[in-house]
Amino acid sequence: MIIMKRLKNIILSALFTAFAFTSVNAQDVAEGEQIFKNNCGACHNTSDEALVGPGLKGIQQRRSVDWIVKWVHNPQAVIASGDKYAVELYNKYNKAQMTAYPNYTEGQIKSVLAYIDAQAAPPAAAAGAAPVAGGSAAPAGETNGGMMQYILLGLLGVMVLVLVALLSIVTSLSKLANSDAVTESGEKVSFLTKLADSGKKIAGNGAFKTGAALLVTLLIGKATIDAAYGIGMHQGYAPKQPIAFSHKLHAGEYQINCNYCHTGVYRGKGANVPSANICMNCHNVIKRESPEIQKVYKAIEKDEPIEWVRVHNLPDLAYFNHAQHTNVGGLECKSCHGEIEKMEVVEQRSSLTMGWCIDCHRKTNVNSEGNAYYDKLVEVHNKDNREPLKVQNIGGLECSKCHY
Amino acid sequence: MLNQKNISLLMTGVLVSAMTACSDKHNDTGTEFAPNMYHSVAYEPMSQSKGDTNTINPYGMNMREPVKGTVPRRDYGKQDGDSVATKLREMDLISRNINKDDMAASESLLSNPFPNNAKNLERGKEQYERFCQHCHGEAGKGDGLVAKKYAGVPVYSSDALKDVNDGHIYHTITHGKGRMWAHGAQITPADRWKIVMYVHELQKQ
Repeated sequence: MIIMKRLKNIILSALFTAFAFTSVNAQDVAEGEQIFKNNCGACHNTSDEALVGPGLKGIQQRRSVDWIVKWVHNPQAVIASGDKYAVELYNKYNKAQMTAYPNYTEGQIKSVLAYIDAQAAPPAAAAGAAPVAGGSAAPAGETNGGMMQYILLGLLGVMVLVLVALLSIVTSLSKLANSDAVTESGEKVSFLTKLADSGKKIAGNGAFKTGAALLVTLLIGKATIDAAYGIGMHQGYAPKQPIAFSHKLHAGEYQINCNYCHTGVYRGKGANVPSANICMNCHNVIKRESPEIQKVYKAIEKDEPIEWVRVHNLPDLAYFNHAQHTNVGGLECKSCHGEIEKMEVVEQRSSLTMGWCIDCHRKTNVNSEGNAYYDKLVEVHNKDNREPLKVQNIGGLECSKCHY
Repeated sequence: MLNQKNISLLMTGVLVSAMTACSDKHNDTGTEFAPNMYHSVAYEPMSQSKGDTNTINPYGMNMREPVKGTVPRRDYGKQDGDSVATKLREMDLISRNINKDDMAASESLLSNPFPNNAKNLERGKEQYERFCQHCHGEAGKGDGLVAKKYAGVPVYSSDALKDVNDGHIYHTITHGKGRMWAHGAQITPADRWKIVMYVHELQKQ
């Protein structure tokens, strides 16, 4: 066994010396990358930016490989030995102990170092890559702008056509007005008098009078009914919020679950507006300098509420409970709120009228499977009913379910 | 007479009125029947009472923070049986007495009150997807969409984390660890324990 181990060591060291003076082995870097991402990446960057621990860029210039290996194998021992650099590091990073990795061989640690160097080393390659990235981003912007320009040009064309048509109508009308017609009796009657005469004739007609009166009454009636129906309906309401929070970015692009911020949505009457500490879970790091995020920081510092404007607001006369609909009924958020993940500013999509509620209660089947609570109800319902059990059958249309 | 100037004036007029009509609509709820029903006189949570109706709290806020030193006694649930409910309560009370910097105490004192079964794991997965996945990734590889921006999200199956126990994970969810901030306020103790159970599954992957 010992001989085997020695042999292995000799072969390994021979291999290392063989590779030591050649360029960095790609395999080493790949191995190093895997180890780094699995173990080190949670606390260290390959750049010089500190995460939990220091950034590791240029670590080989700061420390010898021997020291690094010793440190990785047992950081506590290095600190205990009174190593000045180690103690300073320990104190600088809030006395947070780095996890010891005694199982990694020197070779593996060197691979990680090779990976760190490979990440840090090619500023030339990175600089070469950056303009490419920039270049690819710029045309995207341009094409976007280009599209807009084409649309605008098209619109301009349409408007010119409309203008030409209108002008031609105007000219032909004014021609008509100017060319006075000659009556049978030979008298010259101006176009305008003729128009007035025929107007008087039509106005004298009884049927026309009734028709016109009816039309006006109907129009006024429709306008009145429309206005009356609009009372208390906030559909389309999308107020400007104190902070330009984008649901499109958070729920759409980053796919953060609604429940992460709206903590009450599965267990309470209200879905809850997140408190600032939930914003801070991410924004203690992300986009701290943004003026919009700064508003959150300011609210926390001054212990002031962020005065979000309520979008969905049922009047007090109606009771609504989120948990009952999401948890028990199994409804998706978007079935009432629409595609929030596509909204830059949240808008009330559904009408939230009583008719809208009732409609859903009439159509929706109760999911009674595997729930003993419903067993008797389903049994009684099926006795004289062929339709499946709906929400309306278990009191979903009772006045006092929502109004009390 | 109608000339080009008049027409263009008319058109701009129509356009402007149409646009202002739209922008108004977005910031305006429209007519409200019985407005005191919409802007409740009674104290509603998550809202501020304007004027002199709520003078007790600053800014007319209707919600208050719990009194310092009090412990919420929640419904620990009987549906999983008395023994689970008792242990859940016990674990909750112990963990509330553990300092947020004392990971070692959590590791040694806490263990999952829930039995490892399909139902609890399913619930744990659901909660993981709601509260953890956007950073920690679907399989706990630290590759969630938010992690790309946040940086420093670990891999559960890494050597440092593949063996961490119930208490360690529970403590991390409750109080945060490293770059992660506390999530105890968002997730109930019972659901935290079920997430712990599911994270153990991800450690094996």
